[in-house]
Amino acid sequence: MYKLFAAVKKELLLLRRDVAGLLVLFVMPAILVVVVTLVQENVSKTIGDSALNVLLIDQDKKLVGLTIEKELFASRTINVNKIDTLVKSDIGQARDAVAGGKYQFCIVIPEGMTDSLNNSVLYTVKQSFSNKNQGKHTEDNTKNEAKKLIVYADPALREGIRRSIVNFLEKLLLSIELEEKMGTLTRIFPEEIQKKYKEKAGPYWPMDLEKIDIPTSLQWNRQSFLGVEEIIATGETLKAFPSTMQQNIPAWTIFGMFFIVVPLGGSLIRERQSGTLARLLAMPVSPFTILSGKIIAYVIICLIQFFLILVLGKTLLPLLGTPVLHMGPSISGIILITLCSALAACGYGILIGTLARTYEQASMFGAVSVVIAAALGGIMVPVYVMPKLMQNISLFSPLSWGLTGYITLFVRGGGLLSVIQEISLLLGFFIATTFCAWFTLFYREKIST
Amino acid sequence: MSDDRSNKKVLIVENLVKTYKNSPTPAVNGLNFSILEGDVFGLLGPNGAGKTTTISIMTTLIKPTEGKVNIFGFDVENNPVQVKKTIGLVPQDIALYVGLTARENLRFFGHMYGLKGSYLEIRVSECLDFVGLTPSADHRVGTFSGGMKRRANLAAGILHKPRLIFLDEPTVGIDPQSRSMLLEKLIHLREEGVTMVYTTHYMEEAQSLCSSIAIMDEGRIIMQGPPSQLIEKHQECRNLEDLFIKMTGKHLRD
Repeated sequence: MYKLFAAVKKELLLLRRDVAGLLVLFVMPAILVVVVTLVQENVSKTIGDSALNVLLIDQDKKLVGLTIEKELFASRTINVNKIDTLVKSDIGQARDAVAGGKYQFCIVIPEGMTDSLNNSVLYTVKQSFSNKNQGKHTEDNTKNEAKKLIVYADPALREGIRRSIVNFLEKLLLSIELEEKMGTLTRIFPEEIQKKYKEKAGPYWPMDLEKIDIPTSLQWNRQSFLGVEEIIATGETLKAFPSTMQQNIPAWTIFGMFFIVVPLGGSLIRERQSGTLARLLAMPVSPFTILSGKIIAYVIICLIQFFLILVLGKTLLPLLGTPVLHMGPSISGIILITLCSALAACGYGILIGTLARTYEQASMFGAVSVVIAAALGGIMVPVYVMPKLMQNISLFSPLSWGLTGYITLFVRGGGLLSVIQEISLLLGFFIATTFCAWFTLFYREKIST
Repeated sequence: MSDDRSNKKVLIVENLVKTYKNSPTPAVNGLNFSILEGDVFGLLGPNGAGKTTTISIMTTLIKPTEGKVNIFGFDVENNPVQVKKTIGLVPQDIALYVGLTARENLRFFGHMYGLKGSYLEIRVSECLDFVGLTPSADHRVGTFSGGMKRRANLAAGILHKPRLIFLDEPTVGIDPQSRSMLLEKLIHLREEGVTMVYTTHYMEEAQSLCSSIAIMDEGRIIMQGPPSQLIEKHQECRNLEDLFIKMTGKHLRD
């Protein structure tokens, strides 16, 4: 038993001596819990305090438009930006803003929506009292085609959120329509009833009403006069809303790619500890070659990893019942964003391998920091449902840059030019981390130790 | 020991000082020595004397705070690449990739020295043969015994036929058989005219191998010259170990 005690005591002593390692063990999980909790807080409240950004274009400006506007403004989960315009090009610009991800939705309430509703309701209510209209609802449907509220949706939006907004609007329209029907019915009912009595009583009007049998059942037309039409805000490039595969596969692929930091950082630490790095540095080989050799090898691993996941998405997952993965039109964009993501991951791995003093530090810090960066970067939950503070922090996550690039290509149907910013950021991150690693490893230690 | 060695100085150390960051005293404090071509120069001293720091400066791994090191006419600070081409390093650590075989390790380090093609393969085979590792050449280094790892470590340092080899305690932690074999190989290299800088805590090794020694303590050289002459000067010392204890004292070093 004392041997076990001694073994435990030795491990605890070793841990206590490795202050940085201990800090990593305690601090990193704490940061992880804080970040993931904050990130997911709003998700647990469906959409939450962080409002979705919605553009509202009210061309109707009457009952339907005003009611929708009032209800949207009253909602805590929707941040409404209203545009007063009748110009078609403005709608085009609004649609582009949604396609670019600045807004999640653009709701256009077409001109004359209220008038159309009023006419349809009046016609229907009147028809409902007529005995002649039995069996003619189909014809009515063609006459009174539902006026559609147009909703341009960001293709990158999670389907659940998109559906909830559309359902909300459909319910809102239904209630407006119902209210209008009830109002019209209340207004017309006495007049129509009196008309019926007159028809039945004929020359005996007015007489004892109780003796007259009046048919009171209404031939009610159940057709909706208002509806919602969902349109992808990317114009012609996408014909249907993307599947969750197109969002989840790149998200988790880039997450996996960044986990290369653990073996890469670990290999550098092993080289430092075993003396092989010192041996290499005493050879006529440049530090650039030593680092490049590592980076290139691990970038190849990342690319193979990406390729395998794509193959899974294209072949295996559909066999298990998921939709087939669609990757958008820009192959060059995908190649570049993948290459730059892999470089960024390797640069980070090299930096961790340089700064960490033990393999334990590197593996713990590397893994947990990647999970944190993934949480911040929208890998686990979309950035737009995070609190504002976390959304701002997420701008600094390389995983967020990579994911934004993939979403632009896979989901928004963007081309190479549309992901130039993400490519530049990832490359910049790679250069910065590699330079820091090089400076620490080959310059600072050489002169300051 | 070769008697026909030239008087050409291949390594000159002048006023070498190295003070590490946050350290109150210098690790190396005003070293001056030179080594002739074909010499085996023993750098002896207790732990913390500054031997490894001196070797690290001479092999370009760290920069000195003051002073100069010149190897084959090249200043170590100003021409590190030229220096690196002419020297070999056998570090104190087993600086090999344990996941690779001995042959793969040598092939990799050979490439780093710029060796290629059939010449590289020949040199790898020669070096493996030289250290007696041909039968285990294709086994992973991780499966080797301590002695085999030390031999592979030596092989990696002589692949490119360096004119000057730095050996930092190359026989530490191995059994007498392996040690004896390694010493044989080093004597063989000495006979081929290879210049060596050798650090060790085994005084009998230094006495039998080195043509000249320097005893270091607290960053300074406190005595230098051929081992036989130094022992002769101190008649109360039977051997180099006695002389070493006499010069550096019996108190423990941390």
